[in-house]
Amino acid sequence: MKRLVRSLVVVLVVGLVLSFAFSGVGVAANTTIVFAVGGAPSEIDYWHKVIKSFEEKNPGISVDLLRQPMNTAVRMQTLVTPLSSKESTPDVFLMDVAWVGQFAASGWLTPLNKFVTKDHYDLNVFFKKTIKLADTYKSKLIALPVYIDAGLLYYRKDLLKKYGYSHPPVTWKELVEVAQKVQAGERKHNPKFWGFVWQGKQYEGLVCDFLEFIVSNGGNILNSKGQPVLNSPNNVEALTFMRDLIHKYKISPPNTYTEMMEEPVRRTFQSGNAMFERNWPYAWGLHNSEKSPVKGEVGIAPLPHFPGHESAATLGGWHIGMNVYSKRKLAAWKFIKFVESYNTEKGFAMNLGWNPGRQDVYKDRDVIAKAPYLKALRKVFVGAVPRPGVPYYTKLSDIIQKYVNAAIAGKMSPKSALDRAQSEAKIIVSQYGGTTK
Amino acid sequence: MPAKLGRGAISSSSSEAGLAYLLLAPVIILVGGLILVPVFGTLTLSFFRDVSFLPPVKFIGLANYRRLLSDPNFWYSAFVTVMFALVAVFFETVLGLFYALVINEKFRLRGIMRAVVLIPWAIPTIVSAKIWQLMYNFNYGLLNYLFVHFHLSSHPVNWLGTPLSAFTSIVVSDVWKTAPFMAILFLAGLQSIPAALYEAAMVDGASMFQRFWNITLPMLRPIIVIALIFRTIDSLRIFDLIYVLTGGGPAGSTTSISVYGFKLYILGDFGYGSAVSVFTFVLILLFTIMYLKMGRFQEGMKH
Repeated sequence: MKRLVRSLVVVLVVGLVLSFAFSGVGVAANTTIVFAVGGAPSEIDYWHKVIKSFEEKNPGISVDLLRQPMNTAVRMQTLVTPLSSKESTPDVFLMDVAWVGQFAASGWLTPLNKFVTKDHYDLNVFFKKTIKLADTYKSKLIALPVYIDAGLLYYRKDLLKKYGYSHPPVTWKELVEVAQKVQAGERKHNPKFWGFVWQGKQYEGLVCDFLEFIVSNGGNILNSKGQPVLNSPNNVEALTFMRDLIHKYKISPPNTYTEMMEEPVRRTFQSGNAMFERNWPYAWGLHNSEKSPVKGEVGIAPLPHFPGHESAATLGGWHIGMNVYSKRKLAAWKFIKFVESYNTEKGFAMNLGWNPGRQDVYKDRDVIAKAPYLKALRKVFVGAVPRPGVPYYTKLSDIIQKYVNAAIAGKMSPKSALDRAQSEAKIIVSQYGGTTK
Repeated sequence: MPAKLGRGAISSSSSEAGLAYLLLAPVIILVGGLILVPVFGTLTLSFFRDVSFLPPVKFIGLANYRRLLSDPNFWYSAFVTVMFALVAVFFETVLGLFYALVINEKFRLRGIMRAVVLIPWAIPTIVSAKIWQLMYNFNYGLLNYLFVHFHLSSHPVNWLGTPLSAFTSIVVSDVWKTAPFMAILFLAGLQSIPAALYEAAMVDGASMFQRFWNITLPMLRPIIVIALIFRTIDSLRIFDLIYVLTGGGPAGSTTSISVYGFKLYILGDFGYGSAVSVFTFVLILLFTIMYLKMGRFQEGMKH
């Protein structure tokens, strides 16, 4: 009896081990690639449609959608884990523009130049500056823009007219003048009215706004050699202006530096309590939704600039890239091409309200009929500036958030805040800046 | 069956041992693979510069630890973690003791009461963290509804929006979840206290407070020490609750050591991140030793 039990156990154990050992074997008739993407349910539904029409046009290739959560940080984590352990899947994925640098520098992205050359793929359909600054790493093309975002100035058309202005402000000085006049007038019957609302809380959004202010004054975060130039006179001047919006001109509310993120800013403007708003394109649809008090009264324009410099918009958006460890690169490239094709990109604009990564879609008649504002957006996207494409960007961002917030809160002078930020940024660059871009 | 012992029995028992090892093998492999390998892997990695975007991986000795010592963000997260452990474990102990005393009394529906008290502990942390996140939500959370409805506040409160309120919110969620754990342990302790002691004290005219102070607490001390060790270890490596509720924010103010290490991992700095993890281990070890000394726990074990 005992022997029987023993041999049974042995058989079981051996069987178990064998079944584990062979479970990985199995020959796929088709080439299957895994595509990781996250987002709202409506977006996922649309991706399923994209995949379906891709599979119909490419028999022999099937695409598995690996669904990621909505949260951007979690989406990044679900890619860092497989890539850092050299997994071959997901083969294709979407990346926020802010992490493309880290992924590229880590060598996780397949350079696409070979495919582009072989297929005579036309890169001119994309926004040139975006391709150059966000999708190119060490002169290799490592991603393509699927949809893009950039900072915009929203303004109240009705109020502009009411106070006798013919066009939205072009320089920051003009913005202050208009905002002060409108605010003084509107306060008489609406004490909650503010001239200009923007993102000033200590978080990533503040870095986007900061970048727009400093670049529109000829400044930047890093110079072309990748060295921090945070405390340049131009930057100090721009940051002083940011602080003055709240403390001197008093056209931005004091909760700018404690609470203002995209949504509070949007709600303030949408409820009719602001003249100007800095926000991303997503606010447009909401401002013009059925129940919005400012429906039909909203205009968009490029953000103002300082005298002698050009308007700047921080680039956001999502890019598609290919896993360097992928075993099905040709199929993956076919899928990327399909996602970037005119019709798919047009579909993004028509169905999801995204701003396509391809420039030519902005001239499409259907698209313009559905989203007339895209014509104006295109001009902004052409000049959009990305945040530094360095792999340690998040560390730099933490420093900038801390000191810029301290300056606009009035806790530090703009000069000493940026001096401190500069010296801390230098330490980060010396720790992580071993590679030169 | 000692009577049967003979040569045959010995050889059979040695092959019995062989079978035992064979059957144990999966467990040994699992424990080794899942615990020992990662732990020593982390320790080894902490001596290397292993940054995903700065190849190659290079041995740098103690440089990661030197960097740790001069990293203000790291010390801040260590401070947050220790503060969290002290505050949360204190309230958990007090509340847990209260629960235990209540459900130790004989009253109707005691069985149901005991089950109800334990529910928060039975819910996985991620799930309860998500529930709390909804309750703290600025726009449609239950807390803001109640606060505004009952005029405790004229405007909704941004619970997870400022450093202090975010910290408090995390502590409250943690106490809610883990006080029941303390209660189970204390309840077991309470039931091992002989009723005769209380009877004798009552005969001597001791008040309820005196009985609690002179009988319950001293008799419960070994259990309290064990509970404190468990909970302190647990709260020093706090991760999931913070990850869900604040992600370490606002502006990094609730970043515990584990969250800090995790952020380094996401940044791609595996070597330095490992050094941070090793430090967490050392910190927990220090606290455990301190408790053992404080509770004179080893003496208790010897007797």
